[in-house]
Amino acid sequence: MNLLDIRNLSIELIHNEQSIRAVDKVSLSMKEGEVRGLVGESGSGKSLVAQAIVSVLNDKWHVHADRFHWRGIDLLRLSIPERKAILSRDIAMIFQEPMACLDPTTTIGEQLAEAIDETQLSGFFWQKKQQRLTATIKLLHKVGIKNHSACIKSYPHQLTEALCQRVMIAIALARQPILLIADEPTTAMENTNQEQIFKLLASLNQLKNMAILLISHDLENITHWTNTITVMYSGQFVEAGTTAQIFNKAMHPYTQALVDSSPMANLHLPAKSRLMTLPGSIPILQHLPIGCRLGPRCPRAQQDCVKAPSVSNFHGHKVSCHFPILQNPKLKKTKRA
Amino acid sequence: MTELLKVEALTKSYYSRDYWFNKKLTTVLDSVSFTIDKYKTLAIIGETGSGKSTLARLLVGAESASSGIIYLNNQVLKSGSYKQRCQHIRMIFQDSGTTLNPSLTIQQLLDEPLKLNTPFDEKKRTDLIRQTLQKVGLLGDHMSFYPHMFSGGQKQRISLARAIILQPQVIILDEALASLDPSLRSQMINLLLDLQQQMGLAYILISHNFGIIRHFSDDIIVLSQGKVVEKGQTLEVMAKPQHKVTQKLMMNQSFQLRSKK
Repeated sequence: MNLLDIRNLSIELIHNEQSIRAVDKVSLSMKEGEVRGLVGESGSGKSLVAQAIVSVLNDKWHVHADRFHWRGIDLLRLSIPERKAILSRDIAMIFQEPMACLDPTTTIGEQLAEAIDETQLSGFFWQKKQQRLTATIKLLHKVGIKNHSACIKSYPHQLTEALCQRVMIAIALARQPILLIADEPTTAMENTNQEQIFKLLASLNQLKNMAILLISHDLENITHWTNTITVMYSGQFVEAGTTAQIFNKAMHPYTQALVDSSPMANLHLPAKSRLMTLPGSIPILQHLPIGCRLGPRCPRAQQDCVKAPSVSNFHGHKVSCHFPILQNPKLKKTKRA
Repeated sequence: MTELLKVEALTKSYYSRDYWFNKKLTTVLDSVSFTIDKYKTLAIIGETGSGKSTLARLLVGAESASSGIIYLNNQVLKSGSYKQRCQHIRMIFQDSGTTLNPSLTIQQLLDEPLKLNTPFDEKKRTDLIRQTLQKVGLLGDHMSFYPHMFSGGQKQRISLARAIILQPQVIILDEALASLDPSLRSQMINLLLDLQQQMGLAYILISHNFGIIRHFSDDIIVLSQGKVVEKGQTLEVMAKPQHKVTQKLMMNQSFQLRSKK
């Protein structure tokens, strides 16, 4: 059974009595213990999807979905307290700028202790303080911070960015979640630190069988760490498949452009030659094109593209395009989703 | 042929202010020397605190060096010579969203360096702004827009317009490509390469991304704790990194990308 199964998720913003579809019919499914990458450029709505999953969007946003299942339970049908209970038990999230997300006025130790809930502590009330401390230290060890005594006493500004991100992960791990959503965990970090954080996430995935939804704007950064990837553009679903499928046999022109535009993936190109790019820039929310939102920038666009394409499935490789790039033209769609 | 920019034994050190008597001398940059020619790109890599950004700040004159000489076209650049520096060495910063003044229109933003550095009258300045905007792929009509009306990639283009409007010879890109989206980043790289061909610009590229460095730069220097630990042609250095620091940086990067086959 799928851990998370979202079908046709739409998120609308009501603005001046006019609704803007920031996310338009996106499907996302995750299996247990899977690392899925969610890739999209800025304004693609990938963070909105993550926020919708942990349901922290405010009233301005309207979330609809044909199916929004978490381990077989339809989350959208539950009352808010019930949903909250499930979400806080099973899902944790880490954010982009760890330093900005931690409370600057309290120490790391207190913030970690806050995240550990009563049920994990046993014994009488006078023992709880000590237990809480040991649990905190254990969490810090789990994320690879050996010098726990100094870390517990320090404030967020005294630690480096990578250490702060580790602390964030420790806080997220406090309730042993089944799914960890990492919203751009390594942007604006040094290479060495990026690798450390990714390695930590990978080891958690291996040891604890924790599923990870890794959100990033850069395809080339995360390909090493993911099993499967979902690509989004401007709020629409583009393509989903295994990492190898996406990276080596992209079917959507947008994914192909992303792969082609990355200098890392095109080491065969001579230095200083021109890179493949899509013309134009990402449309802003107020002026979204109708139909396929890539339309005006797409090299393969034809008249049909003014209608939004439906998702077609090629042996588990889902693509949402009227004219996908097919290496093997005989390949038939297995089913229409 | 003489070099465009030549840096000799550039050193930056400062006293920490922790103690009154026991002043501690910290050296951020330790006798760094390199040269760049026209049409060339020099990449600088290094870990945090290796002195990359300090080097950039010294070159544009935001800070004055403790010792060492910078030659531009065989002339010594002194620490007070802002007029010369502004004209010839320009810089683009990492986050274009915060380096453009939000209360000025694009015309006013681009007018400032012209007013301060050139004797042109208003009409000539407006024409020049229009031309420069077209050069970076924007429209002349964008002049009356404010920075918040542009997307991230367009803002970075405006920063580039501000850098090239005085016809400089050297442009320093301090992580200028890091915060852009991939499809816009490759557009920007193409634009920078085109401008280099047209105007004979020399770039100093500070970046983490080896893919961009390999694609974009001719020479590379590797900094570690203020010292140059490795320098040479980019392709050679990347094929056979000699120093431990370079190897470590390279390894981290190759980890992130599964090879294509």
